[in-house]
Amino acid sequence: MTAIDHALFPAPEPRPVDRRAQGSWGRLALRVPVIGFLVIVVALPVGYLFFQAATQGWSSITNQLSQAQLWQAVWLSAKIALWAVPLNTISGVAAALLISKSRWAGTKVLGLLFDLPIALSPIILGIALYAAYSDLGWFGPFLARHGINLFSVPAMVLASCAMSLPYVLRSVLPVLEELGDEQEQAARTLGASAIRRFWTITLPTIRWGVLYGVALTLARVLGEYGAVLIVSGNQPGVSQSLSLYIGASYDTNNPKAALVAAVLLAAFSMVILVVLAVLKRREKRILVDQP
Amino acid sequence: MSISLDDVAKSYGRSDGKFALNGVTAEIPSGSLTAILGPSGSGKSTLLKVIAGLEQPDRGRVCIEGDDVTDLDARFRGIGFCFQQYAPFRHLTVEKNIAYGLKVRRRPRAEISKKVAEMLELVQLGDFAKRYPAQLSGGQRQRMALARALAIEPRVLLLDEPFGALDAQVRAELRTWVKNLHDQVPITTIMVTHDQSEAMEVASQLVVLRDGRIEQTGAPGELYDHPATPFVHEFLGPTTTVGGEVVRPHDLVLRRQPGPGHQGKVTGVVALGFEVRVEVALDDGSSCWVQLTAHEFAELTVTVGDAVAVSPR
Repeated sequence: MTAIDHALFPAPEPRPVDRRAQGSWGRLALRVPVIGFLVIVVALPVGYLFFQAATQGWSSITNQLSQAQLWQAVWLSAKIALWAVPLNTISGVAAALLISKSRWAGTKVLGLLFDLPIALSPIILGIALYAAYSDLGWFGPFLARHGINLFSVPAMVLASCAMSLPYVLRSVLPVLEELGDEQEQAARTLGASAIRRFWTITLPTIRWGVLYGVALTLARVLGEYGAVLIVSGNQPGVSQSLSLYIGASYDTNNPKAALVAAVLLAAFSMVILVVLAVLKRREKRILVDQP
Repeated sequence: MSISLDDVAKSYGRSDGKFALNGVTAEIPSGSLTAILGPSGSGKSTLLKVIAGLEQPDRGRVCIEGDDVTDLDARFRGIGFCFQQYAPFRHLTVEKNIAYGLKVRRRPRAEISKKVAEMLELVQLGDFAKRYPAQLSGGQRQRMALARALAIEPRVLLLDEPFGALDAQVRAELRTWVKNLHDQVPITTIMVTHDQSEAMEVASQLVVLRDGRIEQTGAPGELYDHPATPFVHEFLGPTTTVGGEVVRPHDLVLRRQPGPGHQGKVTGVVALGFEVRVEVALDDGSSCWVQLTAHEFAELTVTVGDAVAVSPR
């Protein structure tokens, strides 16, 4: 997922380069491998994907797009995102506030726990969720006695939450730490209550960071495959999200359906990428002085 | 309104058991402009935050106007606080920054806009009402922060290193401006600074702090002429030692020999425009320096190697 990589390994700020100091050979020696690597890893395969999807013919594309299972999968992905994104936004902002305000060292551990799911392989997380909450697991029977069955859609939401857990926190925390708590304290001396300070001072100043985190979370939730696959049961039309639909179509020798759906998802991810770039600019504008 | 501090202590729970404030007792008179002066780490910013209610003391009481406010949240203390970096609300325009405290107090809209206009006038930012803080210079931001704090008509105004983040010229202008502002709006004001000349120029009363304790309190002239401790003596201005006694270098008289006092030889002359510093090696083996005006020096015309006598004025 390009949007995710972009967030995990953000491009460093461009520095003014003294062109005389750097010979054209030196620049070339840097550019060729970087661009070459990008072409091999990203541009060629993704470009070929779009090319293949486009060249299968208009009637084939419309045929694939009229599959009910595709739109059921799209709808399920949307439903999962509608649950997972707000949940992670609230928990991420809350955790960022907690970590930035606390002088206690233990909150550092909290931050690490937020990072843990994406450091783990998705399949490990999927198995862990299944082991914990299925009928065979520790908490499954307890939940069943109270009439709660997490499988499969609620479990897919849980898996999606876990796999996109740190994005809001990691987008918001640097902004909070950069700003410090002086604005909030100033508002306090002016008589504002804690709730009012949050809505009128803290939230407006971190809003671009929050939106950035939301966009990343959304991209990750829509693209998530491994953990969701384990807990879903992967039933077409019932517990098959868009990324699972792509995987299933590919596995069942229906590459045309997989291609069209993949292009659909990739196009949406690219839109998110553009939105992220715009948000990053906005965020800078509010933080950097321009007298 | 008067502020009184009674045995205020604050430790921040440090493992070495050192106190940021170690039993501070002081009386800040109503309507005064008081400077809390001390080197960095002396606890002066902590003291300001304790008065504001932004930090809770471990022990001791804080009273404003006779009301014990020690357990009152900063929200309800009626104080105006200006942070060192001004803490502007970056997402709000200048006028909305100033209106913030009034909106919190649910004042009628007409009253708010009238008060904001009045404040903009007071701090001379009328043309900048619609600008964002990021578009202001450091001095303008500071004036905006002052207007924001004053808009709620606080009982007390607290300024944390008000001129610390500004360049030298703006700093000099703002010192005079703040002093004039205090004459116009005679509200009890406490400012924290590490700069003795700034404190002496602006404040009517000084509180000298060192290692979380008060060294001395009083009018600037009083402290300068009658320092209670060697620390205050050295902190408030230049000192030199003659015959084992610490004195101000401008309180010494320099004469050609023969003359009264300590005998010695001139070892150096540094001319700094109106001021001339003459370095003298005394016969007892010590050395001192004497501060002269350019006129005094012109009459004396001593050069390196001349035999001189140094005596207190």
